Amino acid sequence: MRICLLSLLLSLSALAQSPRPSPKPQFNLRPLRGIDFVLRNSPTSRKYLIETMPGGVALLDYDNDGLLDIFLVNGGHVADPLLSPANFDRHNPSYWNRLYRQNRDGSFTDVTVQAGLQNAGDTNYGMGVAVGDYDNDGFPDIYVTNFGHNILYHNNGDGTFTDVTAKTGVGAGGWSASAGFFDYDNDGHLDLFVTRYLDWTSEKSKTCGRIAEPMYCPPGEFGSTTSILYHNRGDGTFEDVSAESGISAKPGHGLGVAFADYDGDGFTDIFVANDAVEQFLWHNNGNGTFTEVALDAGAALSSTGKKLSGMGVVFQDYDNDGLPDLIVTQLPHEPYGVFHNDGKGSFSMQELETGFGVLSGNSSGWGVGLEDFDNDGWKDVFIVQGHVFDNVHVYDSSLNYREPPLFALNRKGHFEKADPGSDLPVAGRGAAFGDVNNDGWVDVVTTPLGERPQFFSNRGGQLHWITITLRGRRSNRDGYGARVQANGQVRFATASGSYLSSNDKRLHFGLGTADSCDVDIRWPSGIRQKLRGIKANQFLTIEESER
Amino acid sequence: MIIQAILLAHFLVPAQIASSQSLSEAVKLLQSATDAENRGNLDQAIVDLRKAVELDPSSAIALLKLGEAYMRKHDYGAAIPPLKRAAELSPDSISVHQLLGYALLSQGYASEAIPHLRIAHESGALGIAQFQADQPADALINLKNALEKSPDDPDLIYYLTRAAAALSSESNERLLTQFPQTARGHQALAQSYYSAKMLSEAEKEYEKAIALRPDLPGLHLELGEIYATTSQWTNAEEQFRHETELQPGNAEAAYRVGDALLHQGKMKEATDELRRSDSLHPDMPETLYALGRALVISDPNEAERFLDRVIAMEKQSLLAGQAYLQLATSHRRQGKNELAAHDMAEYKRIEGIASKPEH
Repeated sequence: MRICLLSLLLSLSALAQSPRPSPKPQFNLRPLRGIDFVLRNSPTSRKYLIETMPGGVALLDYDNDGLLDIFLVNGGHVADPLLSPANFDRHNPSYWNRLYRQNRDGSFTDVTVQAGLQNAGDTNYGMGVAVGDYDNDGFPDIYVTNFGHNILYHNNGDGTFTDVTAKTGVGAGGWSASAGFFDYDNDGHLDLFVTRYLDWTSEKSKTCGRIAEPMYCPPGEFGSTTSILYHNRGDGTFEDVSAESGISAKPGHGLGVAFADYDGDGFTDIFVANDAVEQFLWHNNGNGTFTEVALDAGAALSSTGKKLSGMGVVFQDYDNDGLPDLIVTQLPHEPYGVFHNDGKGSFSMQELETGFGVLSGNSSGWGVGLEDFDNDGWKDVFIVQGHVFDNVHVYDSSLNYREPPLFALNRKGHFEKADPGSDLPVAGRGAAFGDVNNDGWVDVVTTPLGERPQFFSNRGGQLHWITITLRGRRSNRDGYGARVQANGQVRFATASGSYLSSNDKRLHFGLGTADSCDVDIRWPSGIRQKLRGIKANQFLTIEESER
Repeated sequence: MIIQAILLAHFLVPAQIASSQSLSEAVKLLQSATDAENRGNLDQAIVDLRKAVELDPSSAIALLKLGEAYMRKHDYGAAIPPLKRAAELSPDSISVHQLLGYALLSQGYASEAIPHLRIAHESGALGIAQFQADQPADALINLKNALEKSPDDPDLIYYLTRAAAALSSESNERLLTQFPQTARGHQALAQSYYSAKMLSEAEKEYEKAIALRPDLPGLHLELGEIYATTSQWTNAEEQFRHETELQPGNAEAAYRVGDALLHQGKMKEATDELRRSDSLHPDMPETLYALGRALVISDPNEAERFLDRVIAMEKQSLLAGQAYLQLATSHRRQGKNELAAHDMAEYKRIEGIASKPEH
């Protein structure tokens, strides 16, 4: 067993204060200094559905300097009308995706050109981002999803990236949405799952609603499509195994994706948040195939049998019973979906028991995070909101295109509304969660349509925490898929979840008043590792033991 | 449908044919027209009847038969002039008024058709004409009478629904224009806003109504439903509770309180209120389902008892499907996987029936 304590190397600024009950947690909505990115979705009179769906944000440390950097996916210019073949003017700097490197003083520097990420492809309208070290070289790689073709950028380790899409064979096509890296066969190499939304093109586009007040059409007006599973061969290339794995057998309207081993069989399963069809829970059979089991497992529908308009999803344990639960954001008139993992491979919808009946019935949710924002040992929820239709108020005056985010504190499994630090209504979409300023308190970066990203800076408090970075050896280097327990709380290692976005891969645990913790890890390789009496308030890197 | 039925009937009215040579020629033409009609040659019949009318313009029977022939050809516009003339000549003829009423109604002259249909005692067509002539109250009475005789006539059912809606709208309009500042006036306006999905406007009108008549039954219930629609469950609960204070015996109000509590995750309180609703009005499926939902996590056996009652009553409705979903949850949580699988199969079967498109 080898433990690498990084606490001395990384920021220690807010550590070791005397433990007292936490004050009311709160965020400050603060500008991200040096970031001038605007998410340009280019709404048109034609109400092309792509315009209202971007865009992703990733929190990653691309240069391994211990500071989180930010990658932002832009939409593109949408001509009115959009001609075929579509040109989204992505060579225009206004429509570039952007990478911002965090400086030591908390400001950011645009390194897009320097990193070689300025070419998003004129035929690509940007959607989401996934981050993972697919070649185990110690540097996080970036996968960008698009309406068009997706792009995999290999991190060269010197501050630059190389487009390796053609070489790796992960370009997909059609309309991709959320994607995520995970290791479904536990071979130590990260595989890639890509959700796709609809069989949509500008030629197939149409408007709905009244002639004088057209609105975007709901997804049911267009055809379904399938998600894609790419198997990492371990030689720097991927193979599309959607058919043989069973993934392509079931088309849907995939928007969000999250991973966890929900039944404890040692293999990572997949949950796909589908829009207006049944949700998909892909059970990993452990032999390279998956079976879609959501309906029989109780995770497909609302408790009244309605199909959720699934947008974003998080797959973590909200009630500290050690089993990953699901929270699925969706459109209004039904609460957000809360599927409690009852064990034995089944779920029960507990949106009312958890308080979401009050929190969410009339809102539209997108990016979602289940993080212990107040470090009391219970994971809280933060959801960015805003209706999908920019003129929804015309059709229903009780609904809003722009909404403030929802922040709710977890009181032993029941969520209660709290102050997110801003009541500014925006058309919220993407959200990534991570400790941006390394103070031990989880922050949020969100991407509203047509605006600059929002930074919800956690104001912190007195309670203790620990943040763990996994370093796999036999397992994938990121440790994605590991089950990590700290003082009884469990996190499933992943950067995926939310909507179109990628979170800080470090695992954050609030420890309440405890000044130390015991950590138990089950690596994807099957290796179990125990650490006892670990001091609180530190950033800790744990390398996978030999056995 | 009604018109076609009438046209199948034969009309026999006393002949009032004029004298002399034209008489016998007209009689021949009438016979010839009848023969042509019997052969199915309506065009020839019309030619003969037109000649007969020319020869004897005062022949009510020729005019009636000419009108009838036009109507059988669905040329209702052409039928009107001879039938009108026949009605002048033979004002007591039920058959003439009957046909003329239908012809006028079919051409959109509803007001003109009314007296003829009234004479003919055609309550169904009369109701339709009255509805079209903006007389919904009279229309409602006649359509109800007609439906008693022909309970399965979809035209009558359709117009009865329309007339009832129009009458409601008319009464509402009266409330709004003549009594706008009364509680009922505000309530009526609130209901209109609610129908138009203008919920904040509806909310304001209910508040005005309640300010004027806080003890008026129904106002709090309706305002609470607006809050429930927009998921403002604490506000909804407050209004429903006001309603239960006004009407402690109102099972729906008790159910609504329970449902609002359920949506707030207050399962114990919700169960108590829902049980109270069930005692006030046993076997309301919605109350039983809500009880099952409230108890499914904490007391699965009791939940299953309520859900089984929903299924027994509702059989294949969507609510029965939802009850099966809850049962599946309960059974899965208890590890009764075979029962859960059965529940899901039943759910899927009902869902399949419910989602089948209508042909």
